[in-house]
Amino acid sequence: MKDAGPADTRGFALADVDLASFDRQFRAHCRVQRPDRYRLIEALPRDAMRIARGSGVSYTAASFGADAISQSLAAFDRILAFDEDGGRLVAEAGVKIGDVQRFALARGWYLAVAPGHPAATVGGCIAADVHGKNPARDGTFRAVVERIELVRANSDVVVASASDNADLFAATFAGFGLTGVITRATLRLARPPAALIVRRVPVANLAEAARMLREAANAPVLYGWHDGRPGVFGRGVVRIGLATDAGEAGAMRVPPPSRDLPAGIRPMPFALWNRAGIAAANVWLGSRWCRAGQSPLPLAEALFPLNDAHAYFAGFGKAGMVEAQWLVPHALFDEFAGMLAERVARDRPRIALIASKLFAGRPEGFGFDGEGIALAIQLPAPAEPRQRAFLEALAEIAITHGGRANLIKESTLDAATARRAVGGFDAARERLAAHNPGGLHASELARRLAL
Amino acid sequence: MSERAATAIVVGASSGLGRALAAELARAQYALLLIASDRRDLDALGASLNLAHGIAVRALALDLGREADPGARIAGTLDGMPPPAALLLPIGQSREDDDLSLDAGRIGALLAVNLHAPLAIVHALLPRLVESHGTVVLFGSVAATRGRGRNVVYASAKRALVSLYESLRQRYRSRELRVQLYELGFMATNLTYGMKLPMPVAEPDAIARTVVRRLERGSSKRYVPRWWALVALAVRWLPWSVYRRMKG
Repeated sequence: MKDAGPADTRGFALADVDLASFDRQFRAHCRVQRPDRYRLIEALPRDAMRIARGSGVSYTAASFGADAISQSLAAFDRILAFDEDGGRLVAEAGVKIGDVQRFALARGWYLAVAPGHPAATVGGCIAADVHGKNPARDGTFRAVVERIELVRANSDVVVASASDNADLFAATFAGFGLTGVITRATLRLARPPAALIVRRVPVANLAEAARMLREAANAPVLYGWHDGRPGVFGRGVVRIGLATDAGEAGAMRVPPPSRDLPAGIRPMPFALWNRAGIAAANVWLGSRWCRAGQSPLPLAEALFPLNDAHAYFAGFGKAGMVEAQWLVPHALFDEFAGMLAERVARDRPRIALIASKLFAGRPEGFGFDGEGIALAIQLPAPAEPRQRAFLEALAEIAITHGGRANLIKESTLDAATARRAVGGFDAARERLAAHNPGGLHASELARRLAL
Repeated sequence: MSERAATAIVVGASSGLGRALAAELARAQYALLLIASDRRDLDALGASLNLAHGIAVRALALDLGREADPGARIAGTLDGMPPPAALLLPIGQSREDDDLSLDAGRIGALLAVNLHAPLAIVHALLPRLVESHGTVVLFGSVAATRGRGRNVVYASAKRALVSLYESLRQRYRSRELRVQLYELGFMATNLTYGMKLPMPVAEPDAIARTVVRRLERGSSKRYVPRWWALVALAVRWLPWSVYRRMKG
């Protein structure tokens, strides 16, 4: 950035701030701008490296970097228009997903594709192309966005949709903020089920879970939870949320914003997720969650699943955690799961949680989609040699079995591995570069993966 | 809650305290006339407040630094709206180089926003506000407590607003026109973002709640947050020989 004199810097005040990724694997001393008017988004010098920042809840360092100015969209948190009949909602990029759900549910609609963290912003969900409670049925976030507005580094304001600047529109999903600063979006809402009944199906291993997930592909909520300990690896439950009428499940109570999981979570001074802690949590969760049966699942609870997870995330302590997320094609999944179980038995990594989901889309760009089963594997202290070695082995096993990595999730992937872990990596990178002339939109994630 | 048959006019509504006031007034069901320099910000704010609170919102994009007669523009925009019950002027513009080094053009530009605009707007809307027994809300600054080598023009203009407040109070009784002056301490806005400040900053939302809650009370002058009154008192009582040695 060129040196700007005092008169030049007025209007785009910068603060020096220490920022860390949600998984605590990367931190940097950054310059942060907090524009509160549209013209201030465009006020940075044209040669300044910049990256948009929402709530900062991406697991990886996607919204900051040592060399880039983070442009906080916190002030752009307004819902601008709503079509009550058609379910179209126009929101600024800084609106939190939890607030979208609260607004929509109060009017008989909901956002069918939404991430777990209620503080994730509309812009962040687009940039990460997040998935929701059943990506096989609902697709990823791109499926619910009709139109976006971006501010490019040259200050141009560009509107993009499937028919207007279509390539830019497509590249912006899972474009990690590198195609411009998303300022607003038109979202397509859906009618929510009155309530849900969740059916719990215990499974002995991941292959069994995969079969259950495939059988329940059309459920509004569908995921598995699994024990990651050696000996019982993969044991768990598949939770199938089925639509029902409100009479069976009780009235919907939408949690107020004060109940939302905060964007920043202070780590506990000690790591809760050592072997004993993980074992205790798994035994408790197993007895509470894994018995066959069914029970009412308030929709609000399904839409805000992380609101009770504060202690879970704080429990990773200062060493933090990592989430490795891999999507493996159906044909190779059982073999992949078997090899993974063998590796876990041999290396004995500490795995805090495994979640499984069904995908049935078409991978585009860096997006995390395809036809197969995805595993999200969360590990504490990924910098420890044993943990690190397991993550590397996991990546190799997954890649060998045609796995696709979710780049926005895992902090430990290097550029070479990422290139092998995403089919069409080079083409996606070229497309992003074409929409990011001069590489002025930049982040630590982009630097690490050489995007 | 049904909409009041009254309009609140917020000048400088697109950011900081102005935006917080607009939101709080919308919550209190005032119809709103919002004024700021950029149409995009006004449209976004107006649309969101209309959607959230069901109130009528009208917006006027106005560059107070260039507009010769902002009061007339605002008065003209009020046509067809409920009678104005409150005029709030949370406007202010400062510069890093306002340190006795500005040329005449830049001094004029600062005075246009910080002094000429409030004076002209109050003058233009006074008949309607008196007719509706409304409230004029002016916003001063602790920066004007005592003259310093920084914020010279800005503080001069803010000090002049105290005189305007006194003039209005001298002319009108509270039952004819309420006049309120808030001397603002540091606020968490884009203007103070990233600055190392010697005192805690107040959230605009909290100040806006105070201002709107007191809108229909009598005329008064007060510091917000209140403890700034003690700081201002201490600054005024400092012996000149000590004060002049202070930095900034």
